[in-house]
Amino acid sequence: MTELKFAGLDGVIILIAYAVIMLAIGWFAGRSDKTVNNSLSNYYLAGRNLGFVALFFTLYATQYSGNTIVGYAPSAYRTGLTWLQSISFMTIIIGIYLLFAPRMYVLGKKHNFITPSDWLSHRFKSKRVTILAIFLMLWGLGNYLLEQLVAIGHAVTSLTGGTIPYQVAVVGFILVMLAYEWMGGMRAVAFTDVMQGLVLMVGIVIFLIGAIYLAGGKIGTITQSIADVDPGLVGVPDLTTSINWFSMLLLVGFGAAIYPHAVQRIFASKSERTLKKSFARMAWMPPITTGLVLFIGLIGIVVIPGLDTAGSEQLVGLLANEIAGINGFFYWIMIIFFGAIVAAIISTADSVLLSFSSIVSNDLYGKYINPDAPEKKKLMAGKIAGVVVIALLLWIAWNPPGTLYEIFVLKFELLVQVFPAFVLGIYWKKMSAKPVFWGMLLGAIVAGLMTWTGHKTVMGIHGGVIGLALNFLVAVVGSILVPSAEEDDEEVAAPALTRMPTQN
Amino acid sequence: MNSKPIKEPIRKKWIWIGLVLIVLANVPWYFPEGDIYPLVFGLPYWALIILVASLVLSGYLYWVTLTQWNLVEDEEEQEQREGGAAE
Repeated sequence: MTELKFAGLDGVIILIAYAVIMLAIGWFAGRSDKTVNNSLSNYYLAGRNLGFVALFFTLYATQYSGNTIVGYAPSAYRTGLTWLQSISFMTIIIGIYLLFAPRMYVLGKKHNFITPSDWLSHRFKSKRVTILAIFLMLWGLGNYLLEQLVAIGHAVTSLTGGTIPYQVAVVGFILVMLAYEWMGGMRAVAFTDVMQGLVLMVGIVIFLIGAIYLAGGKIGTITQSIADVDPGLVGVPDLTTSINWFSMLLLVGFGAAIYPHAVQRIFASKSERTLKKSFARMAWMPPITTGLVLFIGLIGIVVIPGLDTAGSEQLVGLLANEIAGINGFFYWIMIIFFGAIVAAIISTADSVLLSFSSIVSNDLYGKYINPDAPEKKKLMAGKIAGVVVIALLLWIAWNPPGTLYEIFVLKFELLVQVFPAFVLGIYWKKMSAKPVFWGMLLGAIVAGLMTWTGHKTVMGIHGGVIGLALNFLVAVVGSILVPSAEEDDEEVAAPALTRMPTQN
Repeated sequence: MNSKPIKEPIRKKWIWIGLVLIVLANVPWYFPEGDIYPLVFGLPYWALIILVASLVLSGYLYWVTLTQWNLVEDEEEQEQREGGAAE
């Protein structure tokens, strides 16, 4: 990002303030519950007792990152109104949740699931299905975490005008994140998310107000101004773009709903009512989050025209510069806003890291390496693994690849392959382990190969979606041909619910 | 006190037919390529329709989530009441 006019000491002060607040919240979260380090579910799922405010904001702050502003405004700048897709692809996630979350909440409570792979091993009782799923989830989470680390460095460096160098910024904020997460687990993550989510929401609105001010308040003529210069940005897109739009809906919808940290928020909810209320509110967040960011990107086309792809990646920094120059009020608002971007990135990174640690604690170490270890020891294994993986990713992060959006699509390609096993497995008792394993593996190979060979999309359809279709096909046809040996699985035949009707 | 009937979205086909229809309306494949005018409220007509469709999607999911999902809520709330009474 470009150096900012307002950068320097003021930015450093605001960042330190954010860091102190996060640490304080984490400290109180750990202190308010003395049992936090006694069990996996206390640490990783906040004792399955998250209330509405904490659950809603942790869903929000985790799903929307700093990238939602820094990466999506440039996408709107480059693709124009086609970026309306960012509203629908974030909304559809809630629709996909409705496919499995109601039942998964009940199953999670009944069997004390900690991670998504708990469900898979409970359902399929197959080592290779569980291990492949663990691998795909860790891969996806690792990639996602890497993206956040890169983003933190860029955001802090530009906020402080290089006063805090990239490496120092990343290391500093990671230490803060590790510290509060170590102390309070999911409770600390969720409580800091309330603060981080709020500043993100307010930050976007204020940034938009600044951008409208820059455009001279003439928002009614913005699309006309764009149409005069580049009609392609506001015209109806071609068919391939529409197909790609559908493909994004599938990829993001299925991928984001099945994220391990997303699934774990279902397990962490205090009650069904809390979960329902949180999801229902989340359905309205895309219009006022990605929708407003789209608007900011469109204003950018008019206010700062002519940026190429690399230049447009700097759009938020460039706009913030202009807005900060308006007057003293906007100057400080922009500093707080950039702090909010950093906070938003951290709030996503902390959830991803926590989920990563939980998979190591509960699945790798707890199921395969040392199943007899006490919970405290399993917990420590996950915490240490979290620190190690952060160190490893940092080493990779010093040379950030591609543009931010490119990385965003990449992480879904493999992770989404867990979906058929995870969701079809709930409702279809004939589904058997062997075809599920081969479906998942083939889907991941197709998606991975297409990405590595540079064929990210075919006729607009993402490799991850093509892999997912193949995955479904293999899992379903295979299960019909080779039925499960354990047809009388009580869980699927008679769900965990005491009052569940046989048919609607 | 099982006041409300059990409801689970996956069991209701109409929810998913509705969702697919709304999603189909959310992507601008049904407009002529390159079309911009007329502008309505400063937006190309097609973008306004897509925007409205995305708000319909939010509203639909909000409504379905709140009204078509009721598995263990009554049980949980009854337990909570009993737990509260026991204290």
